[in-house]
Amino acid sequence: MSDLLRAPAELKYAEELDWLESVDDNPKPFSWRLSPKMIRLFVLGAERSDGLDREIAQKWFGDRSIVERAIVTLASDRGLLLIGDPGTGKSWLAELLAAAISRNSTQVVQGTAGTTEDHIKYSWNVSMVIAKGQSRESMIPSPIMNAMESGTIGRFEELTRSTSDVQDALISILSEKYVSVPELDTDNIVFAQPGFSIIATANSRDRGVNDLSSALKRRFNFVRIPVVTNKKSEAEIVRFRTEELLRRHQIELDVPPTLLDVLLRSFADLRAASAAAGSDDEKLESALSTAEQIGVLEDAILHSNFFGERELTARSLGSSLVGSLSRRAPEDLAIMNKYLHGVVEPRGKDEGGLWPEFLAGGRDTIATLS
Amino acid sequence: MSFESLRTQLQQAATTFADGPGALEGILLGMVDDVDRAVSEPLEIFPVCHHSPASAVAMARRLRDKQPKVIYLELCEDMAPLLTELRNCRLPVAVQAFSSEVDGFPAEWAPLSVVAPITEASAEYQAIAYALDTPGVELVLVDRSSDHVFQWQPPETRPADEDALHGDAVGVEIGDLRPRFAELEEYLLHHGKVRHWSEWWHQYVELPLGDSDHDTYRQVMFLIGSLFRRLAPGDPRRVRVDEDRERYMWTRMREHLAVSGADPADCLYVCGAFHAASRVAEFGVDGSDGFVISPRSATVWQHGLIPSSHAAIEAQFGLAAGSVSIAATEWAKNLRRTRVTPCQLAGQAGGKKARKPAALPGPGPELAAADQLSGFLRRSPVLDRLDEAELLGWSVEIVRAARRNGYLASTADAIAVFETSILLAGMRDRARPTPYDFQDAAVTCIEKDVVPGRRDVGRLVEIMMGGDRIGQVGYDALPPLARDVHDRLAPLDLKLQQRGVQRALLDIASRPELEPCSNLLWMLRYLLPRGAARPIMGERKLGERPIQESWDLALGTHQRALIELGYEGVSVEQVVEQRLRRSAYDPQATTASVLEAVEDAVRYLHSPRLAGDLGTRALEVLAGERTVDGAPEVLRRSRRLLAYYRTNEPVLPQWIESFVRTGYAHYCTLLPTAFTDEEAGVDQVAAMLGFLFSMESLALSLGCDRTQLELAVAQSHPEEPAKVALLWAARVHLGRLSRAELRVRCDDLLGNPLSLPSYPRYLSGFVHALDPVPSLVDFVVETMSNAFAHLPDPLLLPWLPTLISTLRSRGAQFVPLLIREAGRLFPGRLPALDEWVPPWLDQPAPLAARTTSGTGLALLAAHPATCDAVADLLGCGGSWQAAPGGAVLLSRHPDTAVALEALLAT
Repeated sequence: MSDLLRAPAELKYAEELDWLESVDDNPKPFSWRLSPKMIRLFVLGAERSDGLDREIAQKWFGDRSIVERAIVTLASDRGLLLIGDPGTGKSWLAELLAAAISRNSTQVVQGTAGTTEDHIKYSWNVSMVIAKGQSRESMIPSPIMNAMESGTIGRFEELTRSTSDVQDALISILSEKYVSVPELDTDNIVFAQPGFSIIATANSRDRGVNDLSSALKRRFNFVRIPVVTNKKSEAEIVRFRTEELLRRHQIELDVPPTLLDVLLRSFADLRAASAAAGSDDEKLESALSTAEQIGVLEDAILHSNFFGERELTARSLGSSLVGSLSRRAPEDLAIMNKYLHGVVEPRGKDEGGLWPEFLAGGRDTIATLS
Repeated sequence: MSFESLRTQLQQAATTFADGPGALEGILLGMVDDVDRAVSEPLEIFPVCHHSPASAVAMARRLRDKQPKVIYLELCEDMAPLLTELRNCRLPVAVQAFSSEVDGFPAEWAPLSVVAPITEASAEYQAIAYALDTPGVELVLVDRSSDHVFQWQPPETRPADEDALHGDAVGVEIGDLRPRFAELEEYLLHHGKVRHWSEWWHQYVELPLGDSDHDTYRQVMFLIGSLFRRLAPGDPRRVRVDEDRERYMWTRMREHLAVSGADPADCLYVCGAFHAASRVAEFGVDGSDGFVISPRSATVWQHGLIPSSHAAIEAQFGLAAGSVSIAATEWAKNLRRTRVTPCQLAGQAGGKKARKPAALPGPGPELAAADQLSGFLRRSPVLDRLDEAELLGWSVEIVRAARRNGYLASTADAIAVFETSILLAGMRDRARPTPYDFQDAAVTCIEKDVVPGRRDVGRLVEIMMGGDRIGQVGYDALPPLARDVHDRLAPLDLKLQQRGVQRALLDIASRPELEPCSNLLWMLRYLLPRGAARPIMGERKLGERPIQESWDLALGTHQRALIELGYEGVSVEQVVEQRLRRSAYDPQATTASVLEAVEDAVRYLHSPRLAGDLGTRALEVLAGERTVDGAPEVLRRSRRLLAYYRTNEPVLPQWIESFVRTGYAHYCTLLPTAFTDEEAGVDQVAAMLGFLFSMESLALSLGCDRTQLELAVAQSHPEEPAKVALLWAARVHLGRLSRAELRVRCDDLLGNPLSLPSYPRYLSGFVHALDPVPSLVDFVVETMSNAFAHLPDPLLLPWLPTLISTLRSRGAQFVPLLIREAGRLFPGRLPALDEWVPPWLDQPAPLAARTTSGTGLALLAAHPATCDAVADLLGCGGSWQAAPGGAVLLSRHPDTAVALEALLAT
């Protein structure tokens, strides 16, 4: 789908999903388009031992049991709540699952402080109401209600950002599986079709903003997504996402593995420093997640492509690392300065390689920002 | 039996899958060769894997069928005598070989410890129980001795985990079967879709082998052993040790067969599957005899049983948490399902009620083993049927456990867990959820964003699946020392064998029979780790008798420590004595540490003989010491000991007299050097002076000479102000310097702007001098008052912290003294302060001394001319004469005497 800036997973992998559906002879729950095993295969990629005729790429990187638990939850009576630090791939997993199960990952409600009950149930088309009165025609169903009616997966992003009354509206949807429309005299209940479920995501750093009630908690199965700390998996994720990005921007640029290593190691260093820091002032505001890492690389690639030599260098990477991670002046800048001079500089002297250039890029940006 | 058809098939497979009949063929056919060789060995080899219920069931079944006369077991041969004691213990326990005195190994390895944990669900326990309880069956341990464990493999330095029940012992286990390189294990786990090794084993070996017959079991186990061995030999050093062990075991078995004349057909050799696939030349009854067993070192080994636990075994051998517990649960279930009667030692503590050992039916007929492997490898895995009742039971149980631990779990969750377990198992290609699937399901459905209590759901499932079982060594299997401790603490009427903390209250005043218990508890406190015996109330000082004490005792929890004490001696007293002697005769021992040992000997053992021995040692150490670092400690301890002996003994022991005499001479000799030495601190010099002055009378009575001290002080020429002040104080004490002179010197210091900055340091010296010369306390108050009065703030303030820290560190001694003196000198009330003049400023000028010697009067009478001339000069007339004696006056004026007599008479 080259005419979309970002195609949803079901469009992006439409061909792969079609093929999987055609070869899937395992039992499928409800109205699911794929069986649980095939969904796992779609998310985690196929191996030779799976005996498929074609390659299925891995799309989400993480523990196999997390994906299995998530799929099984959706096949059961409960909603799925993916909880974890920002940038751990919760929403991406939710999108992949929705795409694989119901070929529609766009039935999304974004939880914010301004989300109201209407956003998850229904609202009214005022002109239609004036013209024809309240009827099913003049009703605007929410994405969740659409999912209920079609027996597909609805998504609720950042559940804990929405206020508790909005969260409570989900309770009846998840337990009774219907929404009543008291404004109508007839046809006033929308029942969920088999296959309906909700995938919600919540940021564990937001705990305490709008805590979930126990009633809602018990209607969700919580699956915690950990931060990826395994260097190998992280390198895989960054490479995968970067390739996707390059394709999207139609940029032909090579990301040398040594440069990727510089990025991974610098993030590992900064994470260790954040873990050891005593107070908030001593650690970067950024969560230093894998997504953040991809952001740094993306920034460097775009910068090199449009303003640079059309070649990704360690200098531009150093520059975008400082630029992306320094959110607070002077605290974050001071930490980056300390990192560059305390860790990168000696390493450059010891190991050489790309580190001195990386240091120079970082230094320049700090000088500019200060 | 022939594996020809299998060979042909594998050869074809190798040609098909590999590019040519190369390495793959070698490995595949080699594996069949290994199996062939192990199967055709006349001495039956029984391959096992540790903590494998399938092995245990197969073993139980085989023992009944074959009823061997001799069982060779892969376990350190020196541990054999202990195995019969297993019946007195609640499993799991570990057989331990322990040595604290190494001879032949580097001293830093000490103490050496080897443990072999034994659980009920293991094949080795089946073999042991069968052999020990069946008459006429001999159990022979054939693996290398504990000594060889260290000869062949130096201990790795591992951080000791305090919670681990095994301490930092080296673990040995029967049937270690695991891929030797990480990539293979990772590959197996990845493709087996399991999380850890225990789960892989459970799913791909345990379950398929569950109900298989003996031949299949053996051949499959041989094949797995051979597979791991051929695919990944691993670290060459480890392989060499393994091969040496195999040579060792086969050499021992052949020796035993030759001596006993047993028929190999009546014997069973139980070893890990890894060793069954051995290719050493010594393998087999007919193997070569080239291996020479090296002699053991001179290290003396002690053996005993210590408690173990599932968690400790998992930690020691790198197994997944909960896997040993799950194996135990599986074992119990397999027994019910297969109706195999397990072997159990008669009277096994903690086991099921001992049945009367039924006479074994005769051995089954030996059938020629056929190739079971081809069929097994081709058969698709048999899926275990869903056991709905069991899963429902688990689901309900976990919800109850979660509720108890603060989760808001309900019946709805039990249903969800049940459903999710089945779905998860389905996704993982199994019909019946394994405990690991169930754990995942429970975590998914019950765990929310926070863990409300101490344990999370994953841990609760582990506990539910059998939990951590902690073994206990029964009373009869304890070493004599530990039994003695329990016997002697019996009057406390506590169940000290049980785990957990128990409070003991000892009212010794009303129950004097408890005094020996108190003595023992103090010794245990000295010997055992913290927490095993902890006094809550009561203390033991030199010469004090206990009245009331209360203790927190956790001897059951620290059973291993108590058992290890048993390796050092037969009674606690003996161990204490050994420890005290060891610390006193340590090459690094100082006088202070030896005196501490003397104190401990008196306090804990009340043994004048030992105290005397150690005291003599203190004397030796003191004579050899050239530094005065420990002087304050020596002073404190020798004072305490002296005070104790003076009040409790009719005469002072010989050693302490010698100690005082030697100490007096020793410190006199070192005093001038210490005064000038920069290394020696002022408190150390003060302590030396304290020793010299406070023990002076005793030392002089024992023949020392005071001149020695006077000379030593005279030779001392310190330069540091604090030490100078100390010297002045010493000279005051010796009468070489008067107080007036001392005051003048101090006033000079205050008056001289050049010496003023060093005044606080002099003052520090005086404060330290309070210890050797306490009579100077009024002077110290005076100098301190002067300091506060005259020193400028920039000098006074920086010195105050030093003063405070000195007073704090010596607070118990000096502060009450100083406060009492200050209270005496300073006015008690505010109004009095206005008129108050410090006593040192208020002293009247000294009156001229009036001599009243009798010689003047006599001179006057003898030479009256001077007196007459003065009388003339002053105009006094008359004559005078020398006064008569008192008696003459009395007779001349009797009235006074009469009046006094009347007064006294009334």
